[in-house]
Amino acid sequence: MTAKTSLLTPDARTKRRNAAEARFRLYGLIAVAVAVIALAGLLVSIFGNGSSAFRQTTLHLEIPLPEDKLDKSGTRDLEVMKKVTTIGYAKVLANALEAQLDAQGISVEGLKSKDISKFLSEEAPATLRNQVLEDPSLVGQKITLELLVGGRIDGYYKGRVTRETALLDKNVSTAQLDLADALKEMGLLHTSFNWGFVTAPDASEKRPEAAGLGVAIIGSFYMMIVVLALALPIGVATAVYLEEFAPKNRFTDIIEVNISNLAAVPSIVFGILGLAAFINFAGLPQSAPIVGGLVLTLMTLPRIIIPARAALKAVPPSIRAAALGVGASKMQSVFHHVLPLAAPGILTGMIIGLAQALGETAPLLLIGMVAFVRDYPGAPMEGFFDPATALPVQIYNWTQRADPAFVERASGAIIVLLIFLLAMNAVAILLRRKFERRW
Amino acid sequence: MNVMRQTDDATATAEIKIAAKGVQVYYGDNHAIKDVDVDIADRTVTAFIGPSGCGKSTFLRCLNRMNDTIDICRVEGKITLDGEDIYDKRVDPVQLRAKVGMVFQKPNPFPKSIYDNVAYGPRIHGLARGKAELDEIVENSLRRAALWGEVKDRLNAPGTGLSGGQQQRLCIARAVATSPEVLLMDEPCSALDPIATAQVEELIDELRSRFAVVIVTHSMQQAARVSQKTAFFHLGNLVEFGETGQIFTNPRDPRTESYITGRIG
Repeated sequence: MTAKTSLLTPDARTKRRNAAEARFRLYGLIAVAVAVIALAGLLVSIFGNGSSAFRQTTLHLEIPLPEDKLDKSGTRDLEVMKKVTTIGYAKVLANALEAQLDAQGISVEGLKSKDISKFLSEEAPATLRNQVLEDPSLVGQKITLELLVGGRIDGYYKGRVTRETALLDKNVSTAQLDLADALKEMGLLHTSFNWGFVTAPDASEKRPEAAGLGVAIIGSFYMMIVVLALALPIGVATAVYLEEFAPKNRFTDIIEVNISNLAAVPSIVFGILGLAAFINFAGLPQSAPIVGGLVLTLMTLPRIIIPARAALKAVPPSIRAAALGVGASKMQSVFHHVLPLAAPGILTGMIIGLAQALGETAPLLLIGMVAFVRDYPGAPMEGFFDPATALPVQIYNWTQRADPAFVERASGAIIVLLIFLLAMNAVAILLRRKFERRW
Repeated sequence: MNVMRQTDDATATAEIKIAAKGVQVYYGDNHAIKDVDVDIADRTVTAFIGPSGCGKSTFLRCLNRMNDTIDICRVEGKITLDGEDIYDKRVDPVQLRAKVGMVFQKPNPFPKSIYDNVAYGPRIHGLARGKAELDEIVENSLRRAALWGEVKDRLNAPGTGLSGGQQQRLCIARAVATSPEVLLMDEPCSALDPIATAQVEELIDELRSRFAVVIVTHSMQQAARVSQKTAFFHLGNLVEFGETGQIFTNPRDPRTESYITGRIG
């Protein structure tokens, strides 16, 4: 016989159980805290490094376009004018800047003419040349342009370059920084939103300030179209057939196991397969979004089929019985009742699969999408066969470059990629809500 | 096995709608139904009673070939509807199920509107030539299921939003809408409260004027209340089949008596 216990004092056993529960809750909290800190750290680091990629310093410059330099023949014949290279235009720009400094009465101590010619980005002469070749009648006139300044000057306004680092850096001089400050004071140098980062193509190692994601975004977009157009119908058809129509036998068991295995195959293996099958055997062009899309389709298929099957399996069998009971055929019961009920699950799986495909890098490296591409791919359908890059590959590419300005660009590209992923997940949630609301 | 099978004079007067002869059902190696002979009379309620797992639902599902959807299920013997073998190779089970409607144990309306639930069968079978005709079928079916008064103002509301009893009557309306000749009901009241049960039972009695109704039930009182003929199943055998009154008051087989008095079950 045990002594009568009071309800007001917990016994030892209850205390132990309560303590165990309290400990478990604490572990849970710690786990959540670690996850939140990791995520916060990631976001802070990416946004800290990358948000400056969305701002760019430009110089407002008045440029006289002398006919004797740009079109000696005076015929405004494009073929002749094309003979003047960017080096010629760089000189025009340097003269224009020098003239502007004189006119504004800006004088900087120790400023050499080399400093002035290197003040602007190497991209600036190309911008001017394109402008002139587009409209030869500009020659002989005076135009004003917003021109990119060099990466180091841009970095000076983003905190990447300081006067101390400038002393050690032979790509920038303190005199150039003084000049930048003076121009800033005159209101000629300003920092604004960097549309070029989202629209411009990639640029070479020497001009990070001009590098943009335009080609990569189009390439990724084209690949997603290919994946969507192929993986959705094939994946859903496979899932519906296997789940609703296929007999359950050894053969379908093998198929099932293999689909699960395919989902676990490392993505780079699909890259090798794509290289062998689509490029070497089928003869499709390298670096093309069509090949990337096909490879990503193969990779995404099992990741669509598995959640789609799970969604179909989750539809209560009573619905199928009800449909068959009123004399619907198997196909009517599937397409009128089961599939609409499974649609939210299928769509969610689909979009998660697409998001994974969007962020996939490894297989694309193998099929040549890591190439340096300056030209935008054309409009669909030909555009699918033009060379392009993809967002994750562009990030990988930029992180390998020497200039520290590319660190900022890579982080900025990660932000763009994350925005796309968030947008896709938001669409998934919206679709889910929309379809689930139908009772 | 069916020495106890009844061939009463009363049965002979009603036309035989479904005749089952020597029906065997196997689930894989499991012999679930053993040599069952039953004649279902037209415009009569036939009740199948028996302890859980005795095979009454399995047998019911043979009558509209719902067992076809189970891969390991095998049916032998002969079941005829108006003299035509429903397991003949030429029979399309989809067509059969339009003639032999079914109501399930758990109310299972489609997650669609009340109207669409009832209209689904007529739509896929092309029973209505226009919207007006379809409206009429829906109204008649709902009236026949004693649901029209409760839902006529909200035909576009979801069928799943009704109460359990209303859902089951909606399912009955849905089954009735395809103008079946036989209505199979698999424990239609087991998920319902007593009031809803009473409504459905009343409904079953009315439906008898138009079709043959076969009802599987666990409740012997229910069988006694609604049916004219009762079949008692035990361990896959049809033990006794006869007039409901006779089965409950004067069973011929000792097993039937034990079950009715609550000694087996």
